[in-house]
Amino acid sequence: MIELTLQALFSGLLAGGYYATVAVGLALVFGAMRVINLAHGELVLLAAYIAYAAESRYGINPVMAIPIALVVVASASAIVYALLSRIEHDREINSLILTFGIGIIMTNGILTIWAADIHSTTNPWFQDSLVIADTLFAMNAEVAFFIGGLALMAGVYWWLNHSWQGRAVRALTSNRNAAMLMGVNPRQTEILSFMIAALLATFAGVAIYTGKTVFPSLGHVLTVKAFIITVLAGMGSIHGVLIGAIMIGVIESLTVTYLSASLQELAGMLLFLVVLFVSPSGLFGGRRALAR
Amino acid sequence: MLTLEGVHVNFGGVQALKSASFAVAEGESIGLVGPNGAGKTTLFNVISGVVRPSGGRLDFRGQSLLKLPEWKRARLGIGRSFQIPRPLGHCTVRENLIVAQRFGARTNDPQRIDEILDILNLRDKADSDATTELALTEHKALEVGKALATNPSLLLLDEVLAGLETTSKRAFMERLGAVRDRYKLAMVIIEHDIPTIAALCPRVLVLNFGQIIADGAPDAVFRDPEVIRSYTGETTL
Amino acid sequence: MKHAMKHAILGAALLAAYVGVPLLFGGTPYVMGLIVAALTIAGVALAWALLGNLGGMVSFGHAAFFGVGSYTSAVLSMKLGVPVFAALLLGGLGAAVASVAMLPALRLRGPYFALAILAYAHIFQILATEMTPITGGAGGLLSIPRFPTLFGLEFGGKTGGYVIILTIILLSAFAYDAVRRSAWGLALKAMHDTEIATRVIGVPSTHLKAAMLALSAFITGVVGAFNAHFISFLEPDYAFSSTWTVLPIAAAIFGGYRTVWGPVVGALVIYLLDQLVFKPILPHGHQMVLGVLLCAMILLSPGGLLPVLLRRRRSEGGRHAHA
Repeated sequence: MIELTLQALFSGLLAGGYYATVAVGLALVFGAMRVINLAHGELVLLAAYIAYAAESRYGINPVMAIPIALVVVASASAIVYALLSRIEHDREINSLILTFGIGIIMTNGILTIWAADIHSTTNPWFQDSLVIADTLFAMNAEVAFFIGGLALMAGVYWWLNHSWQGRAVRALTSNRNAAMLMGVNPRQTEILSFMIAALLATFAGVAIYTGKTVFPSLGHVLTVKAFIITVLAGMGSIHGVLIGAIMIGVIESLTVTYLSASLQELAGMLLFLVVLFVSPSGLFGGRRALAR
Repeated sequence: MLTLEGVHVNFGGVQALKSASFAVAEGESIGLVGPNGAGKTTLFNVISGVVRPSGGRLDFRGQSLLKLPEWKRARLGIGRSFQIPRPLGHCTVRENLIVAQRFGARTNDPQRIDEILDILNLRDKADSDATTELALTEHKALEVGKALATNPSLLLLDEVLAGLETTSKRAFMERLGAVRDRYKLAMVIIEHDIPTIAALCPRVLVLNFGQIIADGAPDAVFRDPEVIRSYTGETTL
Repeated sequence: MKHAMKHAILGAALLAAYVGVPLLFGGTPYVMGLIVAALTIAGVALAWALLGNLGGMVSFGHAAFFGVGSYTSAVLSMKLGVPVFAALLLGGLGAAVASVAMLPALRLRGPYFALAILAYAHIFQILATEMTPITGGAGGLLSIPRFPTLFGLEFGGKTGGYVIILTIILLSAFAYDAVRRSAWGLALKAMHDTEIATRVIGVPSTHLKAAMLALSAFITGVVGAFNAHFISFLEPDYAFSSTWTVLPIAAAIFGGYRTVWGPVVGALVIYLLDQLVFKPILPHGHQMVLGVLLCAMILLSPGGLLPVLLRRRRSEGGRHAHA
């Protein structure tokens, strides 16, 4: 019983790592541009499918496919940004509908090119299991990408806090007008946040492809999950997102272990509802975040 | 009718109101003065429910207001204007008043709306777009009108006279006096112009740095050295 | 004079819709089926636009209301023997009750609200799949009762279905218009710009938004219930399909979501294009075209096409008058 629980906690922790890489990208773009990119999950999915195409067609190791996927996802991300910045009126509503439309295009594009089948890596190393402390099992891919994801997020965290551009992103996030008055170039900073989000999305996409399975409607699920995590985190900071992501990962994994795999999604949603009822500004968001 | 006791407001460490205490009697008119940033608008925001105080008591006719949302306070009889006029968008002047009456007073009384339009000299503009087709005086009048249409017993007016030229100001003042007498209202008016205050209000409150530093008849209050200091910029620290 | 003409046009349109269309297409069930399906989308599009225009809320979760409405009505009529027309209204009521579960989301600002509804839609779909004893689970419900014959009129067929969905849309449009013209409508419109200014004059803004959400959910639920009895079959993946969100949004944006009739006209155009043009070309990814259309509309003409066309006609009319 204890072993089962420990295993569930461990798997949840690993899943939380990749959820966090998806969610941080969403939160970053929202912070810099006040836009929720509803196509963010589809960008992640695109990276996963590029890795799939590279592996299945040319036999390229998915990890080696990251640079190719990055180029594609970053280009797609740039297009999303370019289209978003053309919106003039009712930005809030119209940007949602626009990115929703882009998400539909991407999902159906993927469906048209790669069909509705479920895919995962054929490279056995990723799926081989790793035993930690004699009791905890994980796939190589899960552990590798968990560590890689943490490193990447630590890098982004450092960048936000220490580099000039990173501080500009944070300044835009906390007070848009003041940041612009102090000379932050919003366009440049917004593009930068989109590119960082693309990097995180690429990494997350390849992680999902190697450690889980991918299918066209997954993008939508990822966007919702990333959103739920950012609500839990209260749009506060990267570590808030990380904690929120791990909470979702752990709750899902406990649900799968003790209840049923089909209730996995429901568990996270219910947590989201409870938080919404109890503390609409999120668990770590303080006062300023979500609610009016 | 309205009692404040030890009302505090904090904005991220800044004390916008420090222990404000005073009472307004039925039908009383009070002028609220003080330098910019003294907390006058914050006080109105607290009474009308826009800002939640961090401490203190706030009663209206024997009932605590603290837990009530803005719209319930409006229905209890507290009407307010905004310093920067906030007409309802996509609506005519008359529609502004209709919304205020239907929701704030929960009645449908076209006659009273006409009456308000007449008193505030808005009759000609009744069918004009409230956001785009009004002059400053008319905007200010509409602010008062919206509050009046909710059938208030207490009217909080935030600088409705500021920015008007002397002639329109005098006319507006007379209208305010007429409104007050016609509907037997209690009024609290934020206003910088001392003669105006003295003419309209038998009692004046002076607010400085979030504190009430004087309370009394206008001629006494405006002779108070502390009040004069607060206006001339010297502070006693 | 002008009013009389308006009434005459309205009367002619009603006559054409209720008598003309069945006379013309009643003999070809395929065409009638297409029209009914398009009107089903139109009903949801109307409800979606109502929420957007009056409530100022973008919903990506109307599939939830559609699904809840269809299951409520189907289950009530199948398991409890509730008459189909009564079950239809109860389906709407069920969806409105489901919208109550979304009320905490009203505390969220715009973009968050939109996403919260998306998450809610997922919850309802999972619930429908998991509550097997009631909903039949993933296997679905078969032979849901069709519409009965009343007063000698047969509502069970394609033409009968057409008359019902047409009536649902007309009544919904009428209700929408009535709200829009009332003091409620004025307050709702004003709320988008200055919510606080409406609250201090006694407008309970959150209640009003909640009421619009419930009304929008009710209409969507009734339309969903109609669809369940019309096609006589339900399964969770179908009843909660994102199609019920995507097509209405595309239709409303295309036709103009700030008008009452734009979404309806948009739905007729979009649905027929989707079925007759896009689907044959791209059998699997045909929604991609809807995505492209949505993006193009938002970037080029966010107000929708119907208002633009009307304005053009009016200004041309003006020019002719001058000439």
